[in-house]
Amino acid sequence: MPEFDSDSIIDDILRKGEKVADEVEVVYGTGKSINASLKGREIGEAGGSELWAFCIRIIDGGRIGSSMTNDPGRWEECLDAAKAGSRFAGVQDWGGLPGPYTPNGTPDKVFDENLDLDSARLTGYVEELLNGASEYEVDVAGGGASVSQSFYKLTNSSGLVYENSRTRVSASLETISGTSTGYESDTSCFADRLDPYDIGKKAAYLAAHSVGAGDIDTGTYDVILSPIAAAQLIGGIIVPALSGKNVKAGRSYFADKLGEQCLDESFTLRDDPFHGQSSRVIDAEGVPTRVLDLVKDGVVNTFTYDLKTAYKYGEESTGSAVRSDSSPAIGFHNLYLEGDRQDIFDEKALYVHDVIGAHTANGITGDFSIETSNATWREGGADGDAVRAAMLSGNVFEMLKSIAGVSKESRELGNVIMPSVRFNNLRVVGK
Amino acid sequence: MEEPKYYDIRHISGVSTHIDIENGIIDSAGSSFLDVALLRVLGNKGWGLVNIENFGSRSRKEIDEFIAEAMRYASITEEEIILGDAPSGMLTVPKIKGNPADVSLEEKCELLKSIEAAARIDGIISTRAGYSEGSSTVYFMDSSGNEYSYPVCRSGYGINAIAGRNGDMQAARESERTIGGLNMYHKEHKGLEAAGRALKLLDASPAKGGKMNAVLDQELAGVFAHEAVGHASEGDLVKEGISVLKGRIGEKIGDSALSVVDDPTLHEFGFMPLDAEGVTPKRTEIIKKGILSSYLHNRQTLALIGDGDAGHARAEGGSVPQVRMSNTFIENGDSSYDEIIAECKEGVLLKGSRGGQVDPGRGVFQFNAEYGYVIWNGELAGMIRDVSLSGDILLTMHNIVLCGDDLRLNQGYCGKGGQSVPVTDGSPHILLKDAVVGGQDA
Repeated sequence: MPEFDSDSIIDDILRKGEKVADEVEVVYGTGKSINASLKGREIGEAGGSELWAFCIRIIDGGRIGSSMTNDPGRWEECLDAAKAGSRFAGVQDWGGLPGPYTPNGTPDKVFDENLDLDSARLTGYVEELLNGASEYEVDVAGGGASVSQSFYKLTNSSGLVYENSRTRVSASLETISGTSTGYESDTSCFADRLDPYDIGKKAAYLAAHSVGAGDIDTGTYDVILSPIAAAQLIGGIIVPALSGKNVKAGRSYFADKLGEQCLDESFTLRDDPFHGQSSRVIDAEGVPTRVLDLVKDGVVNTFTYDLKTAYKYGEESTGSAVRSDSSPAIGFHNLYLEGDRQDIFDEKALYVHDVIGAHTANGITGDFSIETSNATWREGGADGDAVRAAMLSGNVFEMLKSIAGVSKESRELGNVIMPSVRFNNLRVVGK
Repeated sequence: MEEPKYYDIRHISGVSTHIDIENGIIDSAGSSFLDVALLRVLGNKGWGLVNIENFGSRSRKEIDEFIAEAMRYASITEEEIILGDAPSGMLTVPKIKGNPADVSLEEKCELLKSIEAAARIDGIISTRAGYSEGSSTVYFMDSSGNEYSYPVCRSGYGINAIAGRNGDMQAARESERTIGGLNMYHKEHKGLEAAGRALKLLDASPAKGGKMNAVLDQELAGVFAHEAVGHASEGDLVKEGISVLKGRIGEKIGDSALSVVDDPTLHEFGFMPLDAEGVTPKRTEIIKKGILSSYLHNRQTLALIGDGDAGHARAEGGSVPQVRMSNTFIENGDSSYDEIIAECKEGVLLKGSRGGQVDPGRGVFQFNAEYGYVIWNGELAGMIRDVSLSGDILLTMHNIVLCGDDLRLNQGYCGKGGQSVPVTDGSPHILLKDAVVGGQDA
């Protein structure tokens, strides 16, 4: 455990903070983790860490300032930096930090009491990864496993105190056969829900199946995006366009489309804060979370707001604040895509396991042109010939106006839960 | 306790500052404090790693306890690691003009505001500008008796402008980053450039995809040098068998016009006076006149693979060092820009970059230009948007048939294995035959 009294430091920050600002918020996070990295088939690196950080946010006269430090001895400098930053921030309407909360639901458990940070667990996972991969004739290039426990405490000058502990296990494997590559990974809050053997087997299958892949002629094809490929395009384009901050700043495709039918009438995008790996009863600034149908049956139903954006534009926080550094930002907790579930693998289509360069898509217009990875023809529920090079081109907003169906099963990719999504008539540029 | 064969500690402490301005109003501004360290020990087989928080206040006794902990992790490793001999030493750190850390936050806010304001012209519906600065001290020591410390301050700004008309929107961005001091003085023209291009993009046509000749501008060709050539030359990927350049040293893999270099000694955004293993950084010629000459290495991959230079180990904060690029570029050729456009005859000129990605094992890359122009009869015609390029690394290198004489470098960040490090990419204009160009209008 850290060799300092975090509760006492948090109290000191709140006490001193209230003397220099109207309101103060302190987030303390700490975590322990261990990991092992494969170099080829052997563990080349293994390590551990115990890290912590204090994030301070102050609000003074409608001006917001924040700072962060991982040195408990520098919390006063950190508070001073937050105050200094607030002097330059624009004055905005501010209705106060939330106090003690009443939950809107019961979240899934995210802490595995049986999970220990033991190196033997890592070596066991690695062995299973390799055993799974041995089902196909491929070389293992890399991968690894990690286990972590984290603790998070959010407090503020309105009397909010919230504590939460989480555990996480993950494993991944990278394989190659000739110039065919494969990669698979998975994460879970619970050790018994991680299947390293299956991860290794899938990674090996991807590389093995793509050996001898053929070309595809440029043209229009029925295409199925795997959960991984769909998550990249939808997560990178649709989710930012639903952020209230982007909407109000005039950089969202959906800005003037609230309540309008914009996407296929089977398309529903939901943030469910109570079911999934990022389940929580309050968001990163203490607002109780709730289930949000962001897009319901193709209609843009709500935009997402944190407190800052909501107060600024006269809206209500949707409990959508998440935190990756000193300041909260608008995000989501557990993102679910729902659609017309059916057997989408029966009729022949190009199945795209992954894409290269999804981040190069045009986030404003939705236009994209990206290379596929481990693409294969699929018909009658089975993989056919693999396709080596195929570039997908289109517009995400236009594409999602006509969805041919989604798979019966969804896959949990961290806190994004996606089915495979079938589109008829997508443009594909071949070699 | 079993003694490590070797250990090193890399400690970074400093202050990061940011300013965000949105539509004329400062959204946030402020500073945070950073203090991270990584201890690496080489055990009987492989590496044991421990992150140390607040390293500056640790006693020798505590460091010894961390070494013992790292040795316990090392005990589960299986890979036999041999460290190659590479000269240890630190290059001179260039003095910076106008250290950003000495300029008040107030002045930086005003400078960024004026760049952002310059972008708010008729037709622009949204603007956003950001400034970031990382001012830190890097300390390195190892069990061989080497010990170094150097200051580094990286700073820069970016300006995004969005143009709107009748429900259509287009965005453009300009950014500059440097190790040479505060770079926001008299840069209003950059705001105007971003705005002007966003407006022009409203009238640009979607690109027509297919196989065609392509001229790549310095920025996009620099991304090619980085994504397609640089990553595949990284010794760790070669070692794990996931690079199409494995086993090809001495082979002619590109046209004689093509030479590609990674040079961490250049005083550009990717400069480092010392690599993350304490090795003196060195200019490495990856491809020389079309022949694959060298890989980029750390000490381990140098010993195992050879054919290249160590001094290319880099790490983000307290992360584990990886083989990385720094300042990567295609060398000048002898063709003029006009000759390249004329020689292209019919095709596209691709300009700017929205980033790229590579699968070096499969030998496939993808990247996206910000915009471009149709080339018709050896002359520029209409403007196009949302145009990307993908292809096979080895085939593409043979298809670079002309290199210009107008090398220019651009700054950015490169991601690998969950770490992001500052880099520059660069190139002169190049002519690429039979490129696979992607566009909506395929």
